[in-house]
Amino acid sequence: MLTFQSVILGVLLGGLYALLAAGLTLYFGVMRVVMIAHSAFLILAAYLAWYFHRETGIDPLVSLVGTVPLFFVLGVAMQRLLISRLRAATLTMMSVLLTFAIALLIEGLLGYVFSGTQRRTQLSYSGTSLDFFGARVAVVKLIAFGLAAAALLGLYVLLKASRFGLALRATIQHREAAQLAGIDTNRVAGYGFGLGLATAAIGGTALALDTTIYPSLHWHWIGPLMAIIVVGGLGSVPGAAIAAMLLGLTQSLLQLPLGTTWAQTVFYVALFATLAFRPQGFFGGRLAQRF
Amino acid sequence: MASEPLLELDSVEAGYGRAALVLRGLTVRVPPATIVCLVGPNGAGKSTALKVASGLLKPRSGRIRVNGRDVTGEGPRRMLATHGVAHVLQGHSVFPEMTVAENVAAGAYTVRDKAFVARRTDFVKELFPVVAERWKSLAGLLSGGQQKQVEFARSLMVDPSVVLLDEPSMGLDPKTAGTVFDQVVRMRDAGTAVLLVEQNARRALEIADIGCVLDLGKVHIEGPAGDLLANPDLADLYLGGSARAY
Repeated sequence: MLTFQSVILGVLLGGLYALLAAGLTLYFGVMRVVMIAHSAFLILAAYLAWYFHRETGIDPLVSLVGTVPLFFVLGVAMQRLLISRLRAATLTMMSVLLTFAIALLIEGLLGYVFSGTQRRTQLSYSGTSLDFFGARVAVVKLIAFGLAAAALLGLYVLLKASRFGLALRATIQHREAAQLAGIDTNRVAGYGFGLGLATAAIGGTALALDTTIYPSLHWHWIGPLMAIIVVGGLGSVPGAAIAAMLLGLTQSLLQLPLGTTWAQTVFYVALFATLAFRPQGFFGGRLAQRF
Repeated sequence: MASEPLLELDSVEAGYGRAALVLRGLTVRVPPATIVCLVGPNGAGKSTALKVASGLLKPRSGRIRVNGRDVTGEGPRRMLATHGVAHVLQGHSVFPEMTVAENVAAGAYTVRDKAFVARRTDFVKELFPVVAERWKSLAGLLSGGQQKQVEFARSLMVDPSVVLLDEPSMGLDPKTAGTVFDQVVRMRDAGTAVLLVEQNARRALEIADIGCVLDLGKVHIEGPAGDLLANPDLADLYLGGSARAY
């Protein structure tokens, strides 16, 4: 029964990982940018959701109405004003430094404004759980998963069925050919970046529902997320989603025999195995740029 | 060269970054429904000439004209959508993880008229049967020759007046290359002008109407492609062997 409970929790956790990793892999796909600050924006969104709830008493999910557009605009601005100024030849390396600095900046600001105290959102349904074939599943975890799944589905439909999605995928797969097809690849890359940051807004709100947050929490997230997108194939949204579900599930199952700290190592073992045996990733197609 | 050129590069100088100039006063004219072939050694500036013509690279001096109108400095989007200049890159440039259908649709990205897109889709499917046959396949799974035809089809979706083709036979076996050259002739016969760059100079000149021999960034010899092929000195210098032996 405990194993079944772990499977359920693993799937729920995997859903959140999948959404966040999808955002992270988008940045790499459109700009070849390694976005260390992705999880810092995640925690920022979680803080905004918590603060919104504390100040207004309204459900933190409502904060999405503000944070999603705000993060989208922030993402576009970040790409236009900072990332696009990096030299193409050293872009990937320099993006690590630049976004590392942004992560530190966000962490510092959160500590300055909200202090280092651990925060937790208390909701009327925080303690409620449902019985699912004998497993106890917290309602907040279900909501978080539903939110992540809906956002991921929305992202999928946007990429697969819209004109913008076609342009974004073309830009990821062959930038120069996309330009020659008349696609404004700089604008598309900006929107792609905004979309990536919008996933952090949704993920952060989901996180705020059932997690204790503090300014440096983002360091716990960025390692597993980076591992997921490498295992899934850099730039591949479905690859990231599949790898996230599998690794989330494995992590959850390993918590029983190994405990929470050691279970986390599954991400790094998978990362080493990927780099050793299949550096292009396991689910990313031949060019590791699949969508 | 009697008819008014559709596309004209006039005394163009261009290069990459701060490096030395690649094009040094290049002048090329492409009349309507004509295949003009640029041949020459590596580094002569053939691919760079195409990049300047499609707006991927801005010239440092000189003018680019389409139908007599000065379009110098305009980017690839306007060159394609407004002036009808399409460019097929060297090597593979399909979107590999998109279907053939999506690749073709991407070619019409700048066109909003759905009826026009439907007509052009039918046209390219008829012109390139392999595109119709592999319509739902991922483009990256196609053979090199098939991918090249998908790229041709994508470039023709806006009904361009001139298509720039950079080494379309590169990496293809002789038989497939032959098919690709046949397709280039069919594009010309369908009314599209072609500016062709080829390493396989002899084969390219056989299908071209006009040949230009480039060296060090400018045209050294220009004339009917048949004359260039028949010139034994040229054959020795640029076509990899004597015309007599051919």
